Amino acid sequence: MIDVQYLTKTYEDLNRGPFVAVDKVSFQVGRGEIFGLLGPNGAGKTTVLRILSTVLSPTSGIATVAGFDVARHPADVRHHIGFVSNNTAIYDRMTAWEMVEYFGRLHGMPRQTLTKRLESLFEQLRMNEFRDIPGAKMSTGMKQKVSIARAMVHDPPVLIFDEATLGLDVLVARNLLGVIRSLRESGKCLIFSTHIMSEVEKLCDQIAIMHRGRILDTGTLEQLRNKHDQSDFEELFFGLLSRHEQQESSDWNAEYELDTAIEFAGVEK
Amino acid sequence: MSLSSEPKMQVSGFYGKPRLQAIWLIYIREMRDQLRDRRTLFTIAILPILLYPLVGTLLLQIAQFTRQHETSVCIVGTDHLQEAPPLLDGESFVESLTDDEARLKVLQYRWNDIASSKDVSEETNSWVRDGTFDVVVIIPANFAAANPETIDDTAAVQLLYNVGSDRSMVARDRVESILGNWRAGWIESRLIKSGIDVETINPFQLNDIDIAPERTKETAFWSKLLPFIMLVWAMTGAFYPAIDLVAGEKERGTLETLLCSPALRSEIVWGKLGAVTSFSMFTAILNAASMLVTSSFVFRQISVGGGTIGAPPLTPMLWLLVALIPLATLFSATALAVAAMAKSSKEGQYYLMPLMMVTLPLVLLPMLPGTTLSAGTSLIPVTGMFLLVRALVEGQYYFALLHLPLVIGVTSGCLWLAVTWARRQFDNESVLFGGGEQWELNMWVRHLWRDRQTSASPAQAYACGAIILMALFFGKLAVTQAPQGLAGISKMVLTPQIGMILAPTLLMATMLTTSLRSALRIRMPHWTTLPLAVLLGVTLHPMYVMLAEWISFTYPLGEQAAAAMKPFTDQISAAPWLTILFLMALVPALCEELAFRGFIFGGLVRERGRLRAVLITALMFGISHGVLQQSIAATIMGLLLGWIALRTESVLPGILIHFTNNALSVSMERIADSQWDGAIMFVTATEAGPAYQPMWIVTSAGIALTCILYFSTLPPKINESETDYLDIDGNLTDPNVALATA
Repeated sequence: MIDVQYLTKTYEDLNRGPFVAVDKVSFQVGRGEIFGLLGPNGAGKTTVLRILSTVLSPTSGIATVAGFDVARHPADVRHHIGFVSNNTAIYDRMTAWEMVEYFGRLHGMPRQTLTKRLESLFEQLRMNEFRDIPGAKMSTGMKQKVSIARAMVHDPPVLIFDEATLGLDVLVARNLLGVIRSLRESGKCLIFSTHIMSEVEKLCDQIAIMHRGRILDTGTLEQLRNKHDQSDFEELFFGLLSRHEQQESSDWNAEYELDTAIEFAGVEK
Repeated sequence: MSLSSEPKMQVSGFYGKPRLQAIWLIYIREMRDQLRDRRTLFTIAILPILLYPLVGTLLLQIAQFTRQHETSVCIVGTDHLQEAPPLLDGESFVESLTDDEARLKVLQYRWNDIASSKDVSEETNSWVRDGTFDVVVIIPANFAAANPETIDDTAAVQLLYNVGSDRSMVARDRVESILGNWRAGWIESRLIKSGIDVETINPFQLNDIDIAPERTKETAFWSKLLPFIMLVWAMTGAFYPAIDLVAGEKERGTLETLLCSPALRSEIVWGKLGAVTSFSMFTAILNAASMLVTSSFVFRQISVGGGTIGAPPLTPMLWLLVALIPLATLFSATALAVAAMAKSSKEGQYYLMPLMMVTLPLVLLPMLPGTTLSAGTSLIPVTGMFLLVRALVEGQYYFALLHLPLVIGVTSGCLWLAVTWARRQFDNESVLFGGGEQWELNMWVRHLWRDRQTSASPAQAYACGAIILMALFFGKLAVTQAPQGLAGISKMVLTPQIGMILAPTLLMATMLTTSLRSALRIRMPHWTTLPLAVLLGVTLHPMYVMLAEWISFTYPLGEQAAAAMKPFTDQISAAPWLTILFLMALVPALCEELAFRGFIFGGLVRERGRLRAVLITALMFGISHGVLQQSIAATIMGLLLGWIALRTESVLPGILIHFTNNALSVSMERIADSQWDGAIMFVTATEAGPAYQPMWIVTSAGIALTCILYFSTLPPKINESETDYLDIDGNLTDPNVALATA
């Protein structure tokens, strides 16, 4: 359902110059699978997911979602995904019902189908007690539920959750993970980004560990454990990260030494 | 790797036709959202309804206060009036001398009442200065004794007033008219005494009659005031919703929610634009209506301008509503585009202030006395529409119809630009998601140096244009006298061209880019374009001359300005031809083209900025010419030069066209006067100066058109507008390749 090949995103950054936020990232996610994107803050997870939701366009590389290219057919891609992120807030001056209904109508759903879908969604997510409360007066948990309902209203085959459990209390977060699991059972394709390891361990079929724009390793939990000979996932994660950092700095040093050597050689001449 | 080296610059979201239903959905949501916001409702609905009655009440209070205040006059030296006809009657002026029914408070002093203890002039001066009296009239001692045949200054009656006080000025007018009447009566009695018929000093009578019907007077008043009020409020009404709907949504995080919904970016822009426009119009209409209702009450109470002004004629005012639609849309689209740059509502308000400052003169201009609808004014955005509406309201339908195409053309052009800008903003990632990072001066300077590229960035291009225009502006102010001789002219041409246009360009190109050649767009285009550029320059010149003539006919040069230019043109025609060719053709062609079609164009054309590059360089090029008439011609030429610079991807053809055009302009007289027989085929000498032969004008237009057609067929080689990163030869490079080793 999702196919990402050599995806790269570069920004102009005042501090760092042209900055590669995502560096030749490739992965695939199939139907009925949960793909976990695990990495520290600033690893580039959000950028990858924003490109998949067509909000950002890739600098290079190809990404297709449900068979549509994100760069060439962004509207079709958006029709086939539901995107929940920390950056996708809900309207303050709209009630839960109005909000979800509005996005359903933007998807072009006929009124009757939409009403039925809304009723079942509100029932499923237990949102009926606050369906007429405006966004400004909702708790964080309520807001998150509305966001999820908003993303699911058109029953998309692909769902993208970007740090969706961030800031939620344990109860609501647990509830959300339950929803995600039930979505997998109904055959959806899910991408789930987080920096919380336990969530990945519990949930994901495939895991990619991201750091500084690159995917360091990818595979199932079992595969990763066997490959790195480390049963404790947290140790595995930190081991990968620190090895990557060491390698980067030694690369940088080697290059720096080469440069200075050339300079000296030039001076001596 | 083949995948990653293929750059994808398309910006997502803008494909497919916008659907009307989605636009409507977004529009309705935005409207409902704004109507649920108390602050918005207060500014657009409650405030106007309350504001005008409150202001009206205040005005009435003030009016009553000023009416109750009497004008106070002091007369010093009443004892010197005994010989004269009566001026005073007890406590006031003689009734037949005053024509205003409002009373004057008159205080009288005999000369010695004051002179015995103080200096009269000092004392009376201080009275007027302190406001003890509004005016003081001093009758000197030798007033009555003065011999009418000799003019004696010490015998003059003095009227002391204070120009700094409005009340004193009003009092002065009234007392002057009383004294005038008094003098006229005196003359009359003297004439009668010496046996001359009084009628001799009154050979005819003057009756001035205002033929304007009461209706027109009202229309004239309202047709000036109402559009102004409506436009100012249309602006204000567009600003706040625009900030809330874009910057506010960014701040609250709801914009990204909408961007990842199936709505196209174009649908989002249209929906939001519709909502902002609606609010802009509601605000304007509500304010105008509230003001009308209140003012009709207030004006009935206090008389304005001598007569009462009633409500405006309603039917012609409908024109105002028709004109409001495009203008409100224009304001809204601009406000939306500007607001998109802000990260938060607070930041948005900073941006809208300068926008207001730019737009306000366009609304104020038609209010200036003497500004009427003409071919010239109808070309000014907003102002033209305003004046057209005034003509319609005043019932000058034919006159308005004559200018309608121009006004509609300019307004729709501006509208298209504003909407395109707004749409582009919503398509620009760095506008929607960028920023947020901290800005520090040293970090920024380091970034400028470290991230230099082969051509300027759009921001650097804007900065270069601004520096050039500012330098030219101050340079022009510094020139105080007309140039003397050839040396003076050389200095006057070379200083701005080299010092203010070329120098900043070269400096910026050297310091901010890695390749001077690429930054100035010095590239070899296809060889055919060079001779064709010269041919185009030659064949375009007759049309350029016609354009310049049309411009000077539409916007005639002031006599003073023409006189100031005269010695300059005389000296040019007297100077050696090659020197003039160098000064007036070669230097401007090189300096101006390298700056405008080189450095600035190269920066602006990037990031899909083809239209931006052509339009803005033409505008900057026009403004750099200083004189309005030249600026218009230069802007139009700049559009063509910009287009050719875009097609050929080089600055060289532009230099050739510019040189040829200028060279012909300074050589026409010499060609007409030359001994060459063939010259008569092209140019003749007329009384007004050399002119092109009509036959040649037609032929040259045909050739010029063919050249332009050829230029339009040139295939793009490097496509500058799609490039973010260019290497020295202008080839596209993948930034990742360079970064991979870093």
